[in-house]
Amino acid sequence: MAVTDLPLVAMLKTRLHWHQTRQKLLAETGANADTPGFKPKELKAPGLAPARGAAAVSVERTNAAHLSLAAARPGEDAVLASRFEVTPSGNAVSLEDEMMKVSQNQSDYQLAASLYQKSLQMLRTAVGRGK
Amino acid sequence: MDFLKTISVAASGLKVQSRRRRLIAGNIANADSTAEKPGVDPYRRKIPTFGRRFDRELEAQVVELGRVKPDPTAFRTKYEPGHPAADAQGEVKLPNVNPVIETMDMREAQRSYEANLNLITATRRMITRTLEILRV
Repeated sequence: MAVTDLPLVAMLKTRLHWHQTRQKLLAETGANADTPGFKPKELKAPGLAPARGAAAVSVERTNAAHLSLAAARPGEDAVLASRFEVTPSGNAVSLEDEMMKVSQNQSDYQLAASLYQKSLQMLRTAVGRGK
Repeated sequence: MDFLKTISVAASGLKVQSRRRRLIAGNIANADSTAEKPGVDPYRRKIPTFGRRFDRELEAQVVELGRVKPDPTAFRTKYEPGHPAADAQGEVKLPNVNPVIETMDMREAQRSYEANLNLITATRRMITRTLEILRV
């Protein structure tokens, strides 16, 4: 059994991956802070429970080839991607908001990394090599 | 590694903003560049445009500088009959550069540049933290 199969470690791994992807999304938003028509996006929080069905109410699909609403934007959170203001050029990036998210993402990542390190230490203690 | 891609995306922002600053500096430097003879247009203000492009390698939308467009607004004129570029009425055409607008544009570019720089710093810190896991 690999270390990453342990539930706690696997959860932390998911969390670290999520922060990594979010950081990239934030970089995309920051780079396009002056691009006309650019709308910021936001990731959905990582859920540990297995994904349940889509929203209770959804648009009826008359053809199997139609895209379902849930499949159109998986992993994106429309609510969290707040629009503080939209400039006349159609750009909706708020740099202050973005910077806040970046530092928040960074400290959350560090928290998860510390927890990961601690759980590795705990394992080491369990096999008798701890301090 | 995703973090290195993050830095590349932010770097595209840095590149565009610094080129924008260069254009603005050119506008400010030429704020008084008149023509040398009458009938010729003086310096025309340049406007940078931004576009986004999906980079397949980085799997993200990077920003890039689009075509640099000339500002179509009218030139300022000044009554100065002795000037070599003065027309029959003694009016000299001056560039359509407004230093106040340029200064504000410069400040905006600087702010965006700093935001991208901040992102790179944050990402680098995250990479360092990841490497620290090895150093128990």
